[in-house]
Amino acid sequence: MITFKNVSKIYKPETKALDGVSFHIRPGEFVSVVGTSGSGKTTLAKLLFAEESPTRGSIHLGDWDISKIRRAEIPVLRRQIGVVFQDYKLLPKKTAFENVAFALEVAGAATSRIREVVPQVLKIVGLSDKMHRYPRQLSGGEQQRVAIARALVHRPKIILADEPTGNLDAITSREIIELLKRINDVGTTVLLVTHDREIVNAMRRRVITIQQGKIVSDVEHGKYHLG
Amino acid sequence: MRSVARLLKFAGQSVLRNFWLSFVTTSVLLLTLFTVNMLIVMNVLADATINSIEDKVQVEVYFNQGTSEDIQKSVHGYLAALPQVKDVAVISAADSLEAFRILHADDPEVLAALAEVGGNPIGDSLLISANNPADFEFILAALDSSPEYAPYIKEKNFADHQAVIDRLSDFSDQVRWGGLGLAGFFVLISVLIVFNTIRVAIYVHRDEIAVMKLVGAQDWFVRGPFLLEAVFYSAAATTIMAAICGFILKFLEPQIRSFFTGVDVSLTTYYWEKALLIFGAQFLALAALSMITTLFAMRKYLKI
Ligand SMILES: Nc1ncnc2c1ncn2[C@@H]1O[C@H](COP(=O)(O)OP(=O)(O)OP(=O)(O)O)[C@@H](O)[C@H]1O
Ligand SMILES: [Mg+2]
Repeated sequence: MITFKNVSKIYKPETKALDGVSFHIRPGEFVSVVGTSGSGKTTLAKLLFAEESPTRGSIHLGDWDISKIRRAEIPVLRRQIGVVFQDYKLLPKKTAFENVAFALEVAGAATSRIREVVPQVLKIVGLSDKMHRYPRQLSGGEQQRVAIARALVHRPKIILADEPTGNLDAITSREIIELLKRINDVGTTVLLVTHDREIVNAMRRRVITIQQGKIVSDVEHGKYHLG
Repeated sequence: MRSVARLLKFAGQSVLRNFWLSFVTTSVLLLTLFTVNMLIVMNVLADATINSIEDKVQVEVYFNQGTSEDIQKSVHGYLAALPQVKDVAVISAADSLEAFRILHADDPEVLAALAEVGGNPIGDSLLISANNPADFEFILAALDSSPEYAPYIKEKNFADHQAVIDRLSDFSDQVRWGGLGLAGFFVLISVLIVFNTIRVAIYVHRDEIAVMKLVGAQDWFVRGPFLLEAVFYSAAATTIMAAICGFILKFLEPQIRSFFTGVDVSLTTYYWEKALLIFGAQFLALAALSMITTLFAMRKYLKI
């Protein structure tokens, strides 16, 4: 499903964020990417999301070469990858419902479809009863659920989560990870970038460890093993 | 259709959310249109004034006393055949004398002199109107250089309207250039204000724009609202301008009329007949200007 082949990313003028990274992710996998701060995890996510383009190497998604993607195709790509960030990126003046609906609106979805899909995804993340609240009326965990609901709204094949629990306490973090697991259980590929040792260890899924832009380990049922 | 409605919604939100900025932007666009319309009004008035004076310019050509009617007729025919000549009227010597008497009715000395001469010292004459006063030079030269007719012409009276007209057109040209300069100045201000407004709008919407890109909105969907916003300001300014013009014309036309007595000028008719054209063109020009400005602002500030 996702293939990185010898990918390097150099930020101008000379920050080598990724250095010859290669890996393959099969459909339906749940993969954690771990590494110290500045090791290049977010860069990896940005490349997959076509927010940055690789300096060298190729990135394939299905039979799509993202390293050579045309500008006009980027929106199409992004509707197939749901993204979740540490800071949620919700719009403060919109309710949970409106935040999720916004993703469909800007993609030109019919109003009837919006009315149908938005409550569905909000139900998946367990926020049916709070969908008319504004972000400031929601806890951090709930806000992140709204963000996940928004990521699900295009029924993406992949969920890309960059430190989704970075701002959350341990219990809430576990709930968010449980949610991602449930999403993974129904067949969505999940790529989780995280710092959280406990989460990674409890998961017993595949772990890719990056250090200074290089993959230093890639193991099924992995553990977090960084100093 | 749906997308257009959403673009309109986003654009409308942007306009309302920065109300004061929208207000200032529309006002400056309005001022620009105001100068343009002043220019149009000046043009219409100046043209009407000059035309009405030009229409009054005539040259009178006097025949020598006793010039036969045949010759008079052929001169008449010759002049009437010139393409520059609009009209040639025959004025008999008796009519001329009568007109002269009336003109100098209050001037006993002149009348006494006339009586002393006895008879009618004034010959028959032709009154020539030209299509364009500038053509008189040509017409009179044609008459002078014609060996058949020149000998019969006693004198030509070219009332010196041309100097007045020249001065008037000089003045109206100056006003026109001044107006053009002012309009240009306001166009420049408009460009700067619209640029700034769109810059602020982009800044205010930076989170939305980021989310839009995140969830896979097409470029045109991100840009569309800002372009629509520019069109909206142009439409608002043009509409207000049209309303102001309508109002001014309705209430000021009588004053304008009495100021330009004898000049056939109807601004109302002018605007009424061409309202769609005048304001349509102004709207299109303004919308084009502000959209181009918006494109530049987006290029600089909307990194997508
Ligand atoms: N836009 C950029 N321009 C220049 N350098 C950048 C840019 N983004 C990231 N970097 C550099 O690239 C390296 C990798 O950054 P990246 O954000 O991928 O790290 P990370 O693993 O996500 O770190 P963290 O865990 O702190 O989020 C860092 O040295 C960072 O300073
Ligand atoms: Mg990061």
